[in-house]
Amino acid sequence: MRQISHKLLTADEEKELAKLIEKGDRRARDKMICCNLRLALSIANQYRKSGLPMEDISQEANVGLIKAVDRFDWRKGFKFSTYAVWWIKQSIRRYISSQGTHIKFPAGSRHTIYKIEKLRKEYFDDFGVYPDDKEIAEIMGMSKDVVSSIRAGMQWPVNIDQPMKGFEGRTYAEVIPDEDSTMHEEMIDRDTIINLIKTGFSSLTKQEEMVLRLRFGIKESDTDTEKFPSTNQ
Amino acid sequence: MSMPKGFKSENGYATVTGTDGLGYREIAEKMTSDGIKMNHATARNYFIRAMKKIAKPLAGHSERSPDKLAADPGFQGAVATLMKEKKLVL
Repeated sequence: MRQISHKLLTADEEKELAKLIEKGDRRARDKMICCNLRLALSIANQYRKSGLPMEDISQEANVGLIKAVDRFDWRKGFKFSTYAVWWIKQSIRRYISSQGTHIKFPAGSRHTIYKIEKLRKEYFDDFGVYPDDKEIAEIMGMSKDVVSSIRAGMQWPVNIDQPMKGFEGRTYAEVIPDEDSTMHEEMIDRDTIINLIKTGFSSLTKQEEMVLRLRFGIKESDTDTEKFPSTNQ
Repeated sequence: MSMPKGFKSENGYATVTGTDGLGYREIAEKMTSDGIKMNHATARNYFIRAMKKIAKPLAGHSERSPDKLAADPGFQGAVATLMKEKKLVL
């Protein structure tokens, strides 16, 4: 802060610089940026409690300031700071929200997440229950699929190796069922069914077995030919 | 005579043939050349009868009748797989 010692610009000076910037004067652009660094820093200061490094927030504020300098239209008649504040804030907010989650969302979706969260809290305050995706979609005028997919992305990732609250010594990994594992009952059922199919298969005549094999495209060499001699016909 | 109504698989037409499987006419030609004289309709009858025989012992384990089970492409596919895996031999 102490290093930033550029004097503040008057409205007329800003207008003159803006005109020069429009003509492509790089020195004028640099001067406009330098003279407004204090503005960027003071806005960045408002976000110092976000938990992110202040240096990074200041850099994002400066990025917003540069955007504002490049897009400022002096013809509108406003002071530069009035216009730049919003670009600086937007830049900082985007940075903070992009760092807040492991899942990266487009800026528009992050805004929708914010609106959904706000709506859920208000709904809970009014009715004592949280609204489901269908109700949120109806209130916000969105499709249920969009709300569902955004809400699925809003879930905070959980470390499955961390201990569970209220279940001492147990982790999430220990209680999540493995859906790919084979159940013993299912294995027994399957073996029973295979045996029944074998029983039915043994009642086939040689011709029927040949037709099946031809129909399914199974050559005689594909099966164990030594076992074929004992046919019914 | 028009085609029967409903699913083809229920009337023995659309069956699982596998990648190298033959049509009923081809099966009939092959069987005839091997000395067992038959036409395409007989080949189909042999096939359906064989599937019904295999499905019969399963009647107590399935809600469907052996005839329905025999016509099920899923069941036919399972039999084809078991035959290919050499789990079914005469």
